[in-house]
Amino acid sequence: MAQLIFDLKNVNPAGDVSVKLVSEVGVGTVAAGVSKARADHVTIAGFEGGTGASPLTSIKHAGSPWEIGLAETHQTLVINRLRGRISVQVDGGIRTGRDVVVGALLGADEFGFATAPLIAAGCIMMRKCHLNTCPVGVATQDPVLRKRFKGQPEHVINYFFFVAEEVRELMAELGFRTFDEMVGQMQMLDRRKLVEHWKAKGLDFSKLFTKPPAAKDTAIYRCEVQDHKIKDILDRKLIAQSQSALDRGAPVRLQAAIRNTDRACGGMLSGEVAKRYGHEGLPHDTIHVRFAGTAGQSFGAWLARGITFELDGDANDYVGKGLSGGRLVIRPPADSGIVPEESIIVGNTVLYGAIEGECYFRGVAGERFAVRNSGAVAVIEGAGDHCCEYMTGGVVVVLGRTGRNFAAGMSGGIAYVLDDDNTFKSRCNMAMVELEPVPDEEHVAEQEFGVDLESHGRVDVMSDLTVKDAERLNLLISNHARYTGSKRAAEILANWNHYRPLFRKVMPVEYRRALAEMAKEKAATMQAAE
Amino acid sequence: MGKITGFLEIEREDRDYQPVAERITHWHEFVLPLPEKDVREQAARCMDCGVPYCHGTSRITGAPTGCPVNNQIPDWNDLVYRGNWDEAARNLHSTNNFPEVTGRVCPAPCEASCTLNIDENPVAIKTIECEIADRAIAHGLKPEKPHRKTGKKIAIVGSGPAGLACAQQLARAGHDVHVYERWAKAGGLLRYGIPDFKMEKVHVDRRVAQMQAEGVVFHYNADVGVNVPADKLVKDHDAVVLTGGSEKPRDLPIPGRELKGIHFAMDFLPQQNRRVSNEPQGDVAPILATGKKVVVIGGGDTGSDCIGTSIRQKAASVTNFEILPQPPEHENKMLTWPDWPLKLRISSSHEEGVTREFAVLTQKFTGERGQVKNLHCVHVDEKFKPLPGTEFVIDTDLVLLAMGFVHPLHEGMLKSLNIALDQRGNVSADTTAYQTSLPNVFAAGDMRRGQSLVVWAIREGRQAAHAVDKFLMGATTLPR
Repeated sequence: MAQLIFDLKNVNPAGDVSVKLVSEVGVGTVAAGVSKARADHVTIAGFEGGTGASPLTSIKHAGSPWEIGLAETHQTLVINRLRGRISVQVDGGIRTGRDVVVGALLGADEFGFATAPLIAAGCIMMRKCHLNTCPVGVATQDPVLRKRFKGQPEHVINYFFFVAEEVRELMAELGFRTFDEMVGQMQMLDRRKLVEHWKAKGLDFSKLFTKPPAAKDTAIYRCEVQDHKIKDILDRKLIAQSQSALDRGAPVRLQAAIRNTDRACGGMLSGEVAKRYGHEGLPHDTIHVRFAGTAGQSFGAWLARGITFELDGDANDYVGKGLSGGRLVIRPPADSGIVPEESIIVGNTVLYGAIEGECYFRGVAGERFAVRNSGAVAVIEGAGDHCCEYMTGGVVVVLGRTGRNFAAGMSGGIAYVLDDDNTFKSRCNMAMVELEPVPDEEHVAEQEFGVDLESHGRVDVMSDLTVKDAERLNLLISNHARYTGSKRAAEILANWNHYRPLFRKVMPVEYRRALAEMAKEKAATMQAAE
Repeated sequence: MGKITGFLEIEREDRDYQPVAERITHWHEFVLPLPEKDVREQAARCMDCGVPYCHGTSRITGAPTGCPVNNQIPDWNDLVYRGNWDEAARNLHSTNNFPEVTGRVCPAPCEASCTLNIDENPVAIKTIECEIADRAIAHGLKPEKPHRKTGKKIAIVGSGPAGLACAQQLARAGHDVHVYERWAKAGGLLRYGIPDFKMEKVHVDRRVAQMQAEGVVFHYNADVGVNVPADKLVKDHDAVVLTGGSEKPRDLPIPGRELKGIHFAMDFLPQQNRRVSNEPQGDVAPILATGKKVVVIGGGDTGSDCIGTSIRQKAASVTNFEILPQPPEHENKMLTWPDWPLKLRISSSHEEGVTREFAVLTQKFTGERGQVKNLHCVHVDEKFKPLPGTEFVIDTDLVLLAMGFVHPLHEGMLKSLNIALDQRGNVSADTTAYQTSLPNVFAAGDMRRGQSLVVWAIREGRQAAHAVDKFLMGATTLPR
């Protein structure tokens, strides 16, 4: 959690990071962790309210009241002196000023409203949000239906005026001058109706209303800011040195030493690229950084298009998390004595949620390699357990032995695995995928060795994943050899006719069906155009 | 919801009327049913709202929006779309004892509250309801006899929609139900108030036959408090439900009121209904509009019935006065939906040839030889204050007063029972227990709530049946 918050803060230092927790007994402990992990907000979500499209069973029977989770969260944070640096928010059916005041007295600084302002804007609770037939034009993009939308910003403003007015009245009644004064003053709640209700017999509410002991200097509402520790990170130096590239797109080549305390390296730099150029980023290789050393967690997180990171050394977990078009190359230092194809070079959960980009790692990856990858291309020389878990797109090439449970929940993308001892099938989770050979294609041109992926070759073999498997595989291995100097890759390329039949293509069944349908549709539209 | 996008693809289409020239020559219903295919298409427009405002279970302001008997409209719309008419009829009858009646004469608050009414035309709910009911009737109404009898004896006074609904529910719960009716036939306003051209009386006859088969005993010409002693009735029954309606008409006590040719609507309308069904009129002089210049005072539904009846009796002219100003033709739906809107309503009778005037106050009747000849009127402002200089006089031979009903008749039954009344002169009872000041006497319908719609009467009758069953048996399975 701390790492994720750190990563997010890196890519967008101006954004607040909010962590939403389900209201339940024990949530206080989790919230304390969230505060320590330096989130800006923690949201306690109660069971009331509910999205229009969620099933009635979920609306009625899931979760617990926000009051329970909120009281525990606030008390735990105060006792542990963690309260002042985080905003406690509460949501789940907050509708009235009274809800706000009760929430504040139980310890909330901020409040989430959804259903009520939506209704102020014209929602009539049709519960058809998922069908795209919203008759009042709220939950739809259909232009015909959107015409029916009668909501005005003033309607929502008006609603919040009423909420604020009620809050003000209740605060006056309670004798509070500022909202902050009111936060966490649970002794002000009149609990007779609750405690004396016959249904409450045998229930002990005292913990809900316990005011935690707090020294005079202990904050009981949010009055500080988190120290996110991003003031003097490595990325600040890289950004300073890349200024010409960021401003004008002029290519820069940098070198930097890296240590395992340098976390989320590339995140802030990518944030700067995205701020200026959006997801389009810069032309490939515009910012080229060559690192040496051991990278900390989340090396190359969110790496934007136009940035290439080369690392002589090794890296920790989460390499290439959320990769967004950049290129990552990691290889052991030239003078290292290790055997690359048998040694771990990157940690666990590499390429988590990557959407685009390329990776070449000369060595073996840890567990859950390419989990939730939806579009990045990667070549490695071996992998731990659960490789390609929940993958939905992209291509993964493994030039060595994998761990067990390969392709669990894999619904898209393709993996090519070198299976020289014919045992891969026993380590592959076959629930959603099928194994195929990589068919022989006569003209896998030797000359493609050295063709860059972004050139014509890439467009050709990467755009249509239904054909040219052998060419694609050959191209990726060629790139791998070129970028990392991998001996393994060079050997495979040199003996292509021997190795090609040893590759297994891992193909998700549904993905193949979807690709075939898309191809058919495309052919039909092309025919129609002719 | 049969068709998710039905409301985007299908326009509202509703039943048509016979042309005016044709329909005013007879006393039959003149609404032309839609073909089955069209009804099913119309049902496909229903969106099966997550919060169905047509159900009558949501409240925006005070009263529930939509159907007072809580018809499960989206459910049977879906069944109709799928062609499952039998199940639709079963569902509809589970909330409404007489859907063929409401399918004809209900003003359809359900349609006003339909989500499609926000900025389009609502689902044709009333037409669909009527079609379900008519099909069920065409297949033959089967009596739903109780599985066992309770041995409890219940008297119901008045056989209007509230009394009939209450009687049917209680009979199905196994009680011995006796309905006491002042007139010669059952139905109350359904039979004697609503003209045949809006609802033929065969519908009432059919339901009465069904109820008799279910064990309800009808006692006709039994005027409780007059020729049937009220205290004896209370003593002889385990429970008595008063559903006598709100019969006292609002009078117009102005100079000349005593002249001949000025009648209450409810003296005029029942005569015609008896005439159509060949029921003896008894000892009253006929009131006929034939060849006369008719003025109907009161712009509501009763006034509208007087207009249609006068026109069919071949009146020379018909004029209608309403004291309220003319309402807007279209309501502001952003303000009114899903409540019942105030807007100019044009009934079928209004189309048949009437001069309507709004904001008119009648100040004086004058006549010759004791027969009314002139109305002296004036236009009024919104507070009913006469506007000087707007006085006018209009010729007339027949004046019909249709200005609403103030409360039930107090003379007779209510006086002799010495029952508590509320401030408005209605029988005092709440809508949970429906119990009056006498422990085993209950009241429902217009007699309790004051003049209202047929559908509200059915609701009260059903809810009172629930209350009575609970009172007698300690628990009940009758729906509320």
